[in-house]
Amino acid sequence: MLAPLSWLKEYIDVTLESNKLGDRLTEVGLGTEKITKDKDDIIFELEITPNRPDLLSIIGVAREVAAMEGKKIKYPKAIVDIKNVKPKKVLPLKIQTDHTINPRFTGMIIDGIKVKESPQWLAERLIKIGQRPINNIVDITNYVMFELGNPLHAFDYDKIEGHVLKVHQTKGGEEFKSVDGVSYHLPKNAVVISDSQNLIDLCGIKGGENSGTFEETKTIFIRVPVEVPNLIRRSSQALGLRSEASAIFERGVNAGGTIDALQRCVDLVLQIAGGEIASQLYDIKKEEFEPWKLSVQTNRLGKILGIEIPKQKAVSILESLNLKPIARKDEIECTIPTYRNDLKIEEDLIEEIARLYGYNKFPKIIPGGEIPTKTIPYFKDYRLEEKVKNLLKASGFSEIYSYSLVSEKALLALDINPEKTLRVDNPVSIEFEYLRPTLKIGLRNGLLQNKPNFEEINLFELGKVYLGEDLDKAKEAYFLSGISNSKSFVEIKGVLENLLEELGVKQDPSKNIEATEEGVLFEVNLSEVLEKLSPRKKYLSIPKYPPIIEDLSIEINPKIKYGAIVNVIAAQSKLVNKVELLDEYRNKKTFRITYLSRERNLTNEDISPIREKIIKAMKANFKATQI
Amino acid sequence: MKVKNDASSLIIAAEDEKELNEIKLDFLGRNGKLTQLLKRMKDLPEERKPEIGRLANEIISTVEDLLATRGEELRGEKKEKIKRAVEDITIPGVKPSLGHLHPMSQVLFDVIDVFKGLGFQAADGPEIETDRYNFEILNFPKDHPARDTQQTLFLDTRKSKATSGETILRTHTSTMQGRIMEKIKPPFRVIVPGKVFRYEQTDASHGFEFWQFEGYAVDKNITFTNLMGTLDYFVRKFFGEETKIKFTSHNFPFTEPSLEGYVSCVVCKGKGCSFCKQSGWVEVLGGGMIHPNVLRNVGIDPAEWQGFAFGTGLSRLVILKYQMDDLRLLTNPDLRILEQF
Repeated sequence: MLAPLSWLKEYIDVTLESNKLGDRLTEVGLGTEKITKDKDDIIFELEITPNRPDLLSIIGVAREVAAMEGKKIKYPKAIVDIKNVKPKKVLPLKIQTDHTINPRFTGMIIDGIKVKESPQWLAERLIKIGQRPINNIVDITNYVMFELGNPLHAFDYDKIEGHVLKVHQTKGGEEFKSVDGVSYHLPKNAVVISDSQNLIDLCGIKGGENSGTFEETKTIFIRVPVEVPNLIRRSSQALGLRSEASAIFERGVNAGGTIDALQRCVDLVLQIAGGEIASQLYDIKKEEFEPWKLSVQTNRLGKILGIEIPKQKAVSILESLNLKPIARKDEIECTIPTYRNDLKIEEDLIEEIARLYGYNKFPKIIPGGEIPTKTIPYFKDYRLEEKVKNLLKASGFSEIYSYSLVSEKALLALDINPEKTLRVDNPVSIEFEYLRPTLKIGLRNGLLQNKPNFEEINLFELGKVYLGEDLDKAKEAYFLSGISNSKSFVEIKGVLENLLEELGVKQDPSKNIEATEEGVLFEVNLSEVLEKLSPRKKYLSIPKYPPIIEDLSIEINPKIKYGAIVNVIAAQSKLVNKVELLDEYRNKKTFRITYLSRERNLTNEDISPIREKIIKAMKANFKATQI
Repeated sequence: MKVKNDASSLIIAAEDEKELNEIKLDFLGRNGKLTQLLKRMKDLPEERKPEIGRLANEIISTVEDLLATRGEELRGEKKEKIKRAVEDITIPGVKPSLGHLHPMSQVLFDVIDVFKGLGFQAADGPEIETDRYNFEILNFPKDHPARDTQQTLFLDTRKSKATSGETILRTHTSTMQGRIMEKIKPPFRVIVPGKVFRYEQTDASHGFEFWQFEGYAVDKNITFTNLMGTLDYFVRKFFGEETKIKFTSHNFPFTEPSLEGYVSCVVCKGKGCSFCKQSGWVEVLGGGMIHPNVLRNVGIDPAEWQGFAFGTGLSRLVILKYQMDDLRLLTNPDLRILEQF
């Protein structure tokens, strides 16, 4: 929303210096994004929140300044009394409308106008707020919309076939040519106006090709509607077509403001384009659209905000917002003008009082009372994650964060079937279409990207992957994965063994490691590992008795796996405490075996039968012989 | 004789004691070359035995001497090396290889730490979400313009029972308000860090994937000033004691009253610079008192309980803390970036 200072000054005295005014506007909720000098004027660029359609108008912004500064607004004065006008002639027009799709339809015919260029002051104001002047009639309707916040549309009366306006909803697929010559196929349930022949207006969004005003236009019908927000929003989204008017309607237009807007428009048309009123005032509506009552309890005000704002102060703030407060014993009752349809519940009034009181006058107090200790649902112990990441770091790996969304190409490169991968329907680009079922994609990219600059590359990521072929089977899991072009299989295995040991999880990580052309990759389902976490470490007393340590050399088929031999040795007696491979050469291997008892001193007599058993077992299992 | 020469040359070339030991085993061990040679003596004709025997013993003693001498030399060299290293303490240390934690993780752990001190528990939840948790419960009705502020990525629902348009990637971590609050009764204090997704074109300050964290507390008397106090405490702990915070009014569908929090620029300390667009302030937080509709939606009586909720971009905090100029740096795996942290 652009608001020129000169235009604001039409309704209110602004005394604040413009940077100060910008800061104050931001503080009360009109985010001032930019203040620019424009010749001898200053333009404020404001970010308006979706709940405040009234601030999409200059008068709305002026009302906020008035509230901030405790000043009064000067509204434009009415010239012709349109409610009680007695037209000399009345032109025929039949209006058929439906309250459920068009809650209010206000309008009037003006005959004998002259379409020409707008006067300079009008054109200049529109240019300042980024609008292109077209002709006096179109410009006046635009001007009034930006001034008061109610969109209006002027139809060329002579082009309305049969002098009938029928408001209805589309069946879907109808063709519509807009005032700027673009063709659209309309979605279902769009609210439109047809005359006896054609579809002439896409309500709340855009006028039709034949419904505007042209050089030869002599008679106009001005319509000021109230539209149903979600109907406008759906059509506008379906068509990808937005306008200043649709932005106001989808937020909820000031339903009580149609007559004032029409009044202003008629006055300006008569003044600028001439002509005379040629109909009664049309005002077809389902209800009166009156202001409503809303109260705030004074004790609740203090309980929510945490400070005591004196009642008198609260009343004066509500007064400055034109909410007509009446102070009672325990509450303040307000009457909410129809342009403030964001004020519906007590908390809304509390916010009004707080924001104008000034957020930065509030004390800043940390919550007191007892700290809740009950473990919450979805609790996550981030210390574990920290431990895992630190261990990887200490093992020489650097951490990366990569995107969850990946391309089809990336999946295919890893032989992953995209058909069996979760997918986004409306990706921002085909590069980011699928939810990754593995972290390897990001890690491989990371390795390749770093190759030109680094010889040794060790990367890891701890992140979410999205498993399951379709949404019914979808499952999110944390994976811990890494890649290295400088560490060997056994070194990486050692890192993972350290990690699992640190977490107290018994698991063989061999299958999680994969040697590829680029480097050694590992991937562990950390969510699963953490489920197996041993809850607590328990102290085991230091052995009181010394161990006996012996070396055993055997000749054995070198194809037999180390793991298998150790398992057989360990299985021969409970006294075997530890088995390590000391040395190997071709078909010879030397193991160091530690025997330990926690109950007594071991002697050679305890050990020699076990030694014999082991040698026998080596022979029986592996045809191995002692050397 | 060849064995003797081999042994001598190897011994002289040996560079440390370990290598020397290996040579010793190779020649003099139980299966060593010289030992084997002696064993084969029994196959020799009787008359040659004394001569060869003498020769063999001579070789063995020469090799043993050589080994001993070289051993002493090596020990001396080592001592010399140690002496030299200790004398010149400016020699760079030999570092074991150490990786780097991503700045996002470091900030994440910092944030959790600060809030832990205030009694907040951390939670984690799904990224694949339903419209209900992402919007409906949080007072974003269907067809409400507030949804425009969070453009959504929808999941492909073909091949599944899910309704098209209902399953999405969460657009904010506030989804965890509904998920947690509908399962427990107040009082509670919660923070939720996590990844969120938006249908948004990427540039220096926007992305389709980024990190947020959410915090909320509900009790009998949690107030708007408590929200301000909590945020003020957080920014001073996180950015530094001298950091200032200011608040402006804002609107979010799930809080009322609502606010935005700005911190004094971390680069210029509030004087105004290009980083803060000369304003001296940087917008970082949004929050407010949890809207009564949200409390009702999760079965909590807003007349009895009240609380605040706030959220911020975790990615944005990283950028601010380290004065980075582009959000995309956080997903760039370049080690020249990562090694700085």
